[in-house]
Amino acid sequence: MSVGLVLGVLVCGGAAAVIRFLVSRALPAGPGRLPLGVLIVNVVGALVGGVVLGLAERAAVSLELRLILLTGVCGGLTTFSTWSVETVELLLRGRWRAGAVNLVGTLLLGFLACGAGYLLARSG
Amino acid sequence: MLRLGSAVFLGGMAGTGLRLGIDLALPHADAEFPAGTLLANVVGAFLLGWLVAGLWTRPAVPSWLKAALGGGVLGSFTTFSAVMVSLVALVSAGFSPLAWAYLAATLLLGFAAAALGLRLGGRAAAERLPLGGTDAGVTP
Repeated sequence: MSVGLVLGVLVCGGAAAVIRFLVSRALPAGPGRLPLGVLIVNVVGALVGGVVLGLAERAAVSLELRLILLTGVCGGLTTFSTWSVETVELLLRGRWRAGAVNLVGTLLLGFLACGAGYLLARSG
Repeated sequence: MLRLGSAVFLGGMAGTGLRLGIDLALPHADAEFPAGTLLANVVGAFLLGWLVAGLWTRPAVPSWLKAALGGGVLGSFTTFSAVMVSLVALVSAGFSPLAWAYLAATLLLGFAAAALGLRLGGRAAAERLPLGGTDAGVTP
């Protein structure tokens, strides 16, 4: 793995983290409310990840580009730590509904978006 | 805002680098159990919970440091997209039981780690208060 490729992955990861940060600040959740910004970036990142997986399966993207897009862009854009901590905080505060929607909604939409992106990209 | 953005960018590069390192140390094919991603997500969820309930509650902690560590390092170290990509790849390859096992492990371990981090971080913060003197009404 070349230094340039590693740098490309890191810079894309950093830039994607800034996008996630800006989106979550543009859609502030407030205590006890659904953190919509993180939900959106996680679902969008899952969609892009599915598209890249589908394209890679028919060799439409190189291994290098795949690493930059999956590990850098999608990995940096999406987050598990914020999603899990904010969901647990909602549940601990007794905000069952917001916590359940954040948990199940993110999972369902994320999986559907990723699967749809994968199937569309794979079939070309 | 520029300072916060720079902090998130640098933290995001570091977190992505750490995750890349784990991916290289524990490689997995598309349709194999992604132990490296699971490890990163569980460790990252614990650390963020610990920081949010602990260090974050100190008034002296600057917002750029929270942005760098929370949104930057840990946000990028952990990933949701890789979990979904692995689930789709496993289901597509006909390994649905493995996909369910991976999903269950991610949710159980990841959310338990987040809860444990919040609890331990909150406990550390509570023990610090009497010394810090910020709760004048409680400390005799």
